[in-house]
Amino acid sequence: MSPQVLVNGLLLGGIYAAVGVGFSLTWGVLNIINIAHGAMVMLGAYITFLLFTYAGIDPFISIPASMFVLFLLGYVLQRFLINRVIPHGVFMTLVLTFGLSLFLIDLALLAFTSDYRSVTPSYAGSGLSFAGVIVPYQRLGACVVAILIVAGLNFYLGRSKLGRAIRATALNRQAAQLVGVDIAQIYAVTFGIGAALAGAAGSLLAVTITITPFMGQVFIGKAFVIATLGGLGTVQGALIGGLVLGMAESLGAALIGPSYQQAIGFGILVLVLVLRPEGIMGKQFFAEVK
Amino acid sequence: MATKPSEDVRTSDVRALTVDTPTAVAPVAPATGGVVRQPVWIGLLACAGLALVALPWLTSAYWVRVFTMVFMLAALAQSLNIIAGFTGYADFGNGVYFGIGAYATGFLMQQTVPAPAAVLLGALLATVIAALLGLPILRLKGHYFAIATIGIMEGTRELVTNMGFLGGGQGLNIPIIRMSPAQFSMLMYFLMFGLMVGYTLLVWTISRSSLGYGLRAIKGDEQAAAVMGIDTTRYKVAAWCTSAACTAIVGGVYAIWSGFIEPPVAFDIVRGTEYFMMMLLGGAGTVFGPILGAFVLHLIGNFVWSQFAHGHLAVLGIIIVLIVLFLPGGLMNAFRNGLAWRGRRRTAAGHRPTDNAA
Repeated sequence: MSPQVLVNGLLLGGIYAAVGVGFSLTWGVLNIINIAHGAMVMLGAYITFLLFTYAGIDPFISIPASMFVLFLLGYVLQRFLINRVIPHGVFMTLVLTFGLSLFLIDLALLAFTSDYRSVTPSYAGSGLSFAGVIVPYQRLGACVVAILIVAGLNFYLGRSKLGRAIRATALNRQAAQLVGVDIAQIYAVTFGIGAALAGAAGSLLAVTITITPFMGQVFIGKAFVIATLGGLGTVQGALIGGLVLGMAESLGAALIGPSYQQAIGFGILVLVLVLRPEGIMGKQFFAEVK
Repeated sequence: MATKPSEDVRTSDVRALTVDTPTAVAPVAPATGGVVRQPVWIGLLACAGLALVALPWLTSAYWVRVFTMVFMLAALAQSLNIIAGFTGYADFGNGVYFGIGAYATGFLMQQTVPAPAAVLLGALLATVIAALLGLPILRLKGHYFAIATIGIMEGTRELVTNMGFLGGGQGLNIPIIRMSPAQFSMLMYFLMFGLMVGYTLLVWTISRSSLGYGLRAIKGDEQAAAVMGIDTTRYKVAAWCTSAACTAIVGGVYAIWSGFIEPPVAFDIVRGTEYFMMMLLGGAGTVFGPILGAFVLHLIGNFVWSQFAHGHLAVLGIIIVLIVLFLPGGLMNAFRNGLAWRGRRRTAAGHRPTDNAA
């Protein structure tokens, strides 16, 4: 096995973790399957593209900007739309986010057209090279930043008061309400954080893949896999899930053939579901069937 | 927290059982399929049916095509209703059986198997696959079942893309049936119409059979259903196999209709979500809900598409959001609640003088 395959898998896995973590958080904590997650990733990528093209801002510097914009969008959507539909069950919220997804993608299509865009900073195309393994700077940077964001989020949710409130809500909504957690607010903030993470993932993807209004759609299926592999609602679970999927796709492409890449991911997904439904890292209470 | 729709079904069952007692909602008879008992509704349904039968002679080929599509989506939503609506197993990957039906039909017709036999063999294949997959997969609950079905569908699409004898990524041409285009579109129109009506009758029969009661019991509380002596595994597998066979037949007819299939079209997750939404918006676990949902959503979608060349998906997205916000229990439930409200008001108005006298 060439070490390049393993490195590629690792680099891919870091990005997958960034894409999956927000999706996993909203699903595990709020019991909302956010189909618009892919569209939010796409919006993050366009924010980075616009800032880079018109203001010359480096894609990695623009991450906070896209996180901020997406947080606001997510907060408003949850506060004023999704919160109203939650009592009607998880599949109604899913339909709602599907509608939002159509809306956001079409809006992007009208605003930015379907032209392929890319962000090409000066270091694009160059990379580290040692012992025959090539590591492009952009992918390395994206992977490192993705892991930093995931680790930072894990630290924050573990230590802060807000993090405790979010985890309490995930555990037991009514009990959290009884001890004074403002549920509607926590829902909106958590969804906002999930959206902000989608935005960050979009900014990171902007430097590695082509930007189109439909770029996020591929990642919805993958986000399902990542979230389930690692265990719903846990941050470190999304990291593990992302790395496992990235490695599996990279190894599978090398061993069996690149055209089976997706089938391998979904094959693993079904196997994990049947053998260990709470995920590789899942804790029972986060992944309870609601 | 996600049990509201099933509660609705259960309460409506209770209301159906107590329909003879003098309750305020007695004139509504809101059991699944109970609407049919009202002569007015039978008349309306008959009129709608006649209008749809006469439609090909009254309108252009364009509308015949649009309605053939509506019937197809309604038949798919109705097939899904058996496993997702009645049993409560959210099967987002039911499209896998559409693809299996389409590919089996296409492949067999290339081997000069007659079209009807090819379609039925496709349905048989889907039934067998559903039974084999069902035993491990139907053990999963809630979201996990939903994701597993998506995984199966996406995985199958990749596999078919890599299968040379099915045309792989290039797709599969289906032998043309020799008849004039006008006759052919007529045939397809009535085939899809027949499937829609047939599946609705099937669902109506199931909803009144012991199978239907068992499935609703599983949806309400699977453990309780098992305690009551329902062989939940057998019921669930039976429901999934029925759903798969119905879906595969539609897939087979679609393959003949379109003359060409390729993996992204045969195993289309967006279309899968589309008829899932139709079922939800119409009313999951009701007899007419999926049909209503398919008509409303597809005709609105078609109208929007014809009016807004740009931005039609955005408008459709807004319409979906509005429907979810204002009719979250589905059209059938909103309709029933409206009837119940009118019934209550009428009863209340009728009773008030006697109340005063007493």
